[in-house]
Amino acid sequence: MNTEELIAVQVDKSVDARGTSCPGPLLAAKKAIGQIDKGQVMEVLSADEGTRRDIPKWCNKKGFEYLGTVEESGFFKIFLRK
Amino acid sequence: METKKLTLALFSGSVDKLTAAGVILGGAAAEDMDVEIFVLLQAAFAFKKENAMVNDRVSEISDKKDEFLASLKRLQAPHWTEAFKTAKEMTNVKIHICGFAGKVWHGEKLDDFIDLADDICGIGEYMTSAETSGINLFI
Repeated sequence: MNTEELIAVQVDKSVDARGTSCPGPLLAAKKAIGQIDKGQVMEVLSADEGTRRDIPKWCNKKGFEYLGTVEESGFFKIFLRK
Repeated sequence: METKKLTLALFSGSVDKLTAAGVILGGAAAEDMDVEIFVLLQAAFAFKKENAMVNDRVSEISDKKDEFLASLKRLQAPHWTEAFKTAKEMTNVKIHICGFAGKVWHGEKLDDFIDLADDICGIGEYMTSAETSGINLFI
């Protein structure tokens, strides 16, 4: 998805992990993914640079669809579909 | 999906290396890996109940210990015991105390160690675990 599509996508679950460092955001995503159904979209908010690389790789390994990342002021919104 | 396995020979009892081990455990937990940790010599000292929360052991760049510990606090990094506990809650993590290492530090019983420890074992269990793991680390 491009940035415009990501901004417009309906988010079913939002995880704010901006207060944590690696591997906090990844573990927050892992905990939250169990709370949504297959096909639903989750966004992970992280200020950790490594997370924007970790989440796509994690999605690939776990069979989730990485949708893309939007860079905000001082943090990232990382989108994925279960 | 096939479950992968990580075996960690944890030798160090210093906070810097235990913190690094906690970060790696977090990665393993995120991927639902099975993890077996073998607590060897100096790490067994850190796993004793009276020592686990004492943060005065930093083995690398030790002249920067205060800066390192302050940064962990600034970054809200969990104490290594919390990181280990989180990993145990999220995936299959077994923590074995080496029997010899325990005796070195006068820890003869499982009750001498923090609750994260599952059992006291011999080196044979480590060898068996290492033989069946895709990832083997020594920290």
